[in-house]
Amino acid sequence: MSVRNGLAALCACAIALIGTPAGAQSNNVRITGLADVAFGSLTGGDVSRAQNVCAFSSTSTKGYRVTASGSGASGAFTLANGGSTLAYEVQWNKLSGQTAGTGLSPNVALTGQTSTATQQQCNSGPATSASLILIVRGTSAAAASGGNYSGTLTLVLGPE
Amino acid sequence: MQMLQMKRFGAAGVAALLACSSFAAQAATDGNFGATSQGTVGISASVPSRVQISKLTDVAFTNQDPASAASNAQNVCVFSNTATKGYNIKATGSGTSSAFTLANGALTVPYTVEWAQTTGQTSGTSLTTNVALTGQTSLATTPGCSSGVATSASLVVKMSTAALESMQSNTSYTGTLTLLVGPE
Repeated sequence: MSVRNGLAALCACAIALIGTPAGAQSNNVRITGLADVAFGSLTGGDVSRAQNVCAFSSTSTKGYRVTASGSGASGAFTLANGGSTLAYEVQWNKLSGQTAGTGLSPNVALTGQTSTATQQQCNSGPATSASLILIVRGTSAAAASGGNYSGTLTLVLGPE
Repeated sequence: MQMLQMKRFGAAGVAALLACSSFAAQAATDGNFGATSQGTVGISASVPSRVQISKLTDVAFTNQDPASAASNAQNVCVFSNTATKGYNIKATGSGTSSAFTLANGALTVPYTVEWAQTTGQTSGTSLTTNVALTGQTSLATTPGCSSGVATSASLVVKMSTAALESMQSNTSYTGTLTLLVGPE
C-alpha cells in the first residue's frame, strides 16, 4: 500500500467512524408488560382500568411517541358484540402508577413522551415506566345492548 | 260532586343480570425492540340486560261527573337494552292484595289499568294486578328517551261510572300504582 493509498484508507476509516460511531445503536423503542383488560359486568357509572407498562426508548432523550388504534371501524376505540358496539376511551401517562392521563385519539400519535426505563423490558431499573388507562363511560354502557363485548387495542411506540 | 285524587304513581325499573359467561379476549402481546414497537391488549366487557321506565306523572281525577267514565292516558318511556328491545310489565296497586283501588280510610273504589307498547294511545291491553304483560317491545333507543323517541308507551288509567257512582261525595281517595318492568 502506498503512502497515498494508506492515507486515503485512513481518511475513509475516519469518515466511517464519524458516520457510525463505535458502539452506537439505532433509535429503538419497545413496549412490554401489557395485560388484557376485563371490565367485567358494567352495571352503571364509569369504569376505569389502569395498568402499568414498560415503555423503553434508546434515544438520548429517552423520548418516544405512542399511537393507539382499536379494533373498531377505522381504528375506533370500540368493543363489539355482533353488530352492537361499546365505546371506550384510552388515556396514556408517561409515568407509572397513574389512573388518568392524556386522552388518545385513534391513529393519532401522542408525542413528547419520555421514559425512565433503563432496560428495554424494565428488567432492571424501574419495573414499569408508563400508565395505560381504559375507560368505559356509564352513558355508553347504559345505551349499549346487553351482551358480551370484546376487542383489541394496538399500541405502537416510536422513538423521538 | 265527588272529588277523587290519585296522588302518586310509583315507578320501578328492574335490572336483570345476564349470567356472565366467560368470553375470551385476545391475549396481550408485548412489542419487540426495534425502530417501532407494537403491542396489543385484549379487552372484554359485558353489559347486563337492563330496562328503565321513566316519564311517569301523577294522575288526578278531580270533580269527576259520575255519569261519565273517567280516563287518563299518559305517554311514558320504557327502555330495554336487549337485542329485541323487549320487555314485560307488571302493575300493582296499593289496595288489599295489591288491588287497583283508591282509598279514604275504609272507603275504597276500584280503577283499571291498561298498557299500550306504543305512545299516544288512549286504550291498551288491560292489566291484572301482579300479572306480567309479556311480549312488549320499545322504540326507545336511550334510557329515559333522552334522544330518539320522546316516549315509547302509553299508560291508561280508567274509572267506570259504576265506580264513580259508588264514591262518597267531597271525599278524596288516593292510592299508588307501581309499575315493574323486566327485560325480555
